[in-house]
Amino acid sequence: MSRALLHPSPMPGFGLAMGVTLTMLSLVVILPIGALLWKGAAFGPLEVWRVINTERSFAALFLSFRVALLAALFNLVFGCLLAWVLVRYRFPGRRLIDAAVDLPFALPTAVAGIALTALYAPNGAIGSLARELGMKIAYTETGILIALIFVGLPFVTRTVQPVIEEIEKEVEEASATLGATRAYTLRRVVVPMLAPAALTGFALALARSVGEYGSVIFIAGNIPLVTEIAPLLIVIRLEEFDYNGAAAIGIAMLFISFSMLLAINAVQIWSRRRIGYV
Amino acid sequence: MSDATLVDLQRRRAFRAPTNEAPWLRVLLTLGVVGVLALLLFAPLIVVFVDALAQGAGAALASLANPDAESAIWLTLTVTAIVLPLNAAFGIAAAWAITKFDFRGKAFLITLIDLPFSVSPVVAGLCLVLLFGSNSLIGGWLVASGYPIIFALPGIVLATLFVTFPFVARELIPVMIEQGRAEEEAALTLGAGGWRVFFTVTLPNIRWALLYGVLLCNARAMGEFGAVAVVSGKIRGQTATMPITIEMLYNEYLSVAAFSMAALLALLALVTLTLKTLLEWRYADQLAANHRH
Amino acid sequence: MHIQIDEISKEFGSTAALTPVTLGIPSGALAALLGPSGSGKTTLLRILGGLEFPSSGRVLFDGQDATGLSVQERRAGFVFQSYALFRHMTVFENIAYGLRARPRVSRPADAEITRRVTKLLDLIQLPQIGTRYPSQLSGGQRQRVALARALAIEPRMLLLDEPFGALDARVRKELRQGLREIHDNTGLTTVFVTHDQEEAMELADLVVVMSMGRIEQVGRPADIRARPKTDFVREFISV
Repeated sequence: MSRALLHPSPMPGFGLAMGVTLTMLSLVVILPIGALLWKGAAFGPLEVWRVINTERSFAALFLSFRVALLAALFNLVFGCLLAWVLVRYRFPGRRLIDAAVDLPFALPTAVAGIALTALYAPNGAIGSLARELGMKIAYTETGILIALIFVGLPFVTRTVQPVIEEIEKEVEEASATLGATRAYTLRRVVVPMLAPAALTGFALALARSVGEYGSVIFIAGNIPLVTEIAPLLIVIRLEEFDYNGAAAIGIAMLFISFSMLLAINAVQIWSRRRIGYV
Repeated sequence: MSDATLVDLQRRRAFRAPTNEAPWLRVLLTLGVVGVLALLLFAPLIVVFVDALAQGAGAALASLANPDAESAIWLTLTVTAIVLPLNAAFGIAAAWAITKFDFRGKAFLITLIDLPFSVSPVVAGLCLVLLFGSNSLIGGWLVASGYPIIFALPGIVLATLFVTFPFVARELIPVMIEQGRAEEEAALTLGAGGWRVFFTVTLPNIRWALLYGVLLCNARAMGEFGAVAVVSGKIRGQTATMPITIEMLYNEYLSVAAFSMAALLALLALVTLTLKTLLEWRYADQLAANHRH
Repeated sequence: MHIQIDEISKEFGSTAALTPVTLGIPSGALAALLGPSGSGKTTLLRILGGLEFPSSGRVLFDGQDATGLSVQERRAGFVFQSYALFRHMTVFENIAYGLRARPRVSRPADAEITRRVTKLLDLIQLPQIGTRYPSQLSGGQRQRVALARALAIEPRMLLLDEPFGALDARVRKELRQGLREIHDNTGLTTVFVTHDQEEAMELADLVVVMSMGRIEQVGRPADIRARPKTDFVREFISV
């Protein structure tokens, strides 16, 4: 690419379009995030660490990232299976289910939260069944896991589906003519082809689950040190007018999220380069 | 039936195309994923309506006619009515700048636009509180001048804008890249002005993609909870949106009222999904490539 | 290996892709299935390879009924029109794929796999490209890699679907010669599908002219040219 800031173009409206874009971007995204980072810079990394390094903050952050990772991993596997079934198999109700996969995008998180709680609470339809088996779902880490699986459900399916549609049938046939069993073909040919898209979906699901608040707080029970997620702790600190405490946890969340996304991005660039196509 | 044809029949039944899984595995996989979806997606949706109607339709409707509930519905509609046009205008402007021009830092600009998707809504709310809260520099001055942002409508609008920020732009950019610049260039050579080119050439080409983006943006705007919870202050009858009201009712054990409000939003979600699916079926060729099933 | 096709028919839904056809291909022959698109030639090739199951009839390999053999059991070296190379694997791994896919008992040791793949790369005259990915190869190179991959499993026959279809004229001439040489060196019964009569006539010992799911004529290229049996054959080979 040349060093020119803007290539000459006959197209009109660059000034207006860029002006609107940058104004909105600054006002809505850059300035607010800048305010948080400024706050962090003002009291320095040591102070941030001191605030986070309390048992309660640490437990909340650890819980948020650990359960989000588990939920995203579940969605990685389940999303690929679901995409495979939706693209490759024909069964009654398939199109309805295909459309329903996006429900977590469309359903407000607070609605999902109270509905999941009503369902999985010890007196709920599924929760009471679980209780008879000696399990407790709502108000435990399992409940948080279910809520996070719910909000991250569509991501992997929706990124992987178009890739499965584009796999040439001949590539799978070639594998079979070379003597490979179906299982070997799936493992060595199909899964590697889906991997980059699946990883993108995984990253999106993870980012969403880590920061999720609405669907979790109803089902979590919110017991400090046990089922209190990091976003909730931010809300609690704000309600106590402890802005520094809230900001420190917010910065930690931003920092960890971005590091994870960067790592996933790097893996993806590496795998794309290795496979040799874009 | 002769022996030969009988053997033939048995063989044909045993034959499986090399690109298919074994029939038992197909059935198992299908039942498995449908089962998980039933527990995770369909059951909660049903529960919302069952619990809303637990004491009959009359009780559900009465809870919605309550002044606080009405004010929440009104507030949510107001916020959405402000956010949608702003977001659409931003999305079109950003997509125009990014797809019609080549400039340095384009990739970085796209990353910034996508940023809100990887920030927790609660952290977004926190950012706004730090920037505009009454003990911040700007916020203090604004409150003193009588224009409070936090715990007021502007804060809720900003928070909603933040979480819905990438929706329209993300939908338009791939579609406009795919369509290229040739049609606009042709219109320019025919003597059309900039706005004329936009309204007569570009807009008709992107209208369904735009509608798709606005639809997703609308669903998120009406349902946003985390970011709004932080900045709204949850003042009943004033800054409590529909999702916030659901939380307050639920915490007060007013189950029918909470679920009635939730059912209203769930209906909206179902309408959104239906319209979205219709758009995907009908105008697949005019939407971003990854929606073409 | 002698291939016998016995009253094979194939229907897709209600449309007949092959009306019963019978055909013998002698061991070691290089045969061309020639015809326009929709003539059923690719369907016939896929039935030989075990990728489709015939609606009726039998396939015999050296007199043994092979109709019920699965695609894995047939050991047919199949080269696809699109080559269907595994784009996430190097050329080396592509060629080694069939050997690595074998069950543990019959899988060669790594050193043996390396030896065989190296030998095949020499055979297709591309000894230096083992570490590259398919996306980094030219069309002609991809075709030869697909051929080497099919040969690696020590196939009982070689089946090629429009092997030169996606290439430009100059490369096509070169690769025809290459296929002829590989056929002569290995002695494998080889069947390829083409719509190009010049290609079929120049390369094959036995040409099978097909149209609308039927075999119009079978014979040596010279015989077909001299004595076309039907109007269709006369017209098709005169293009």
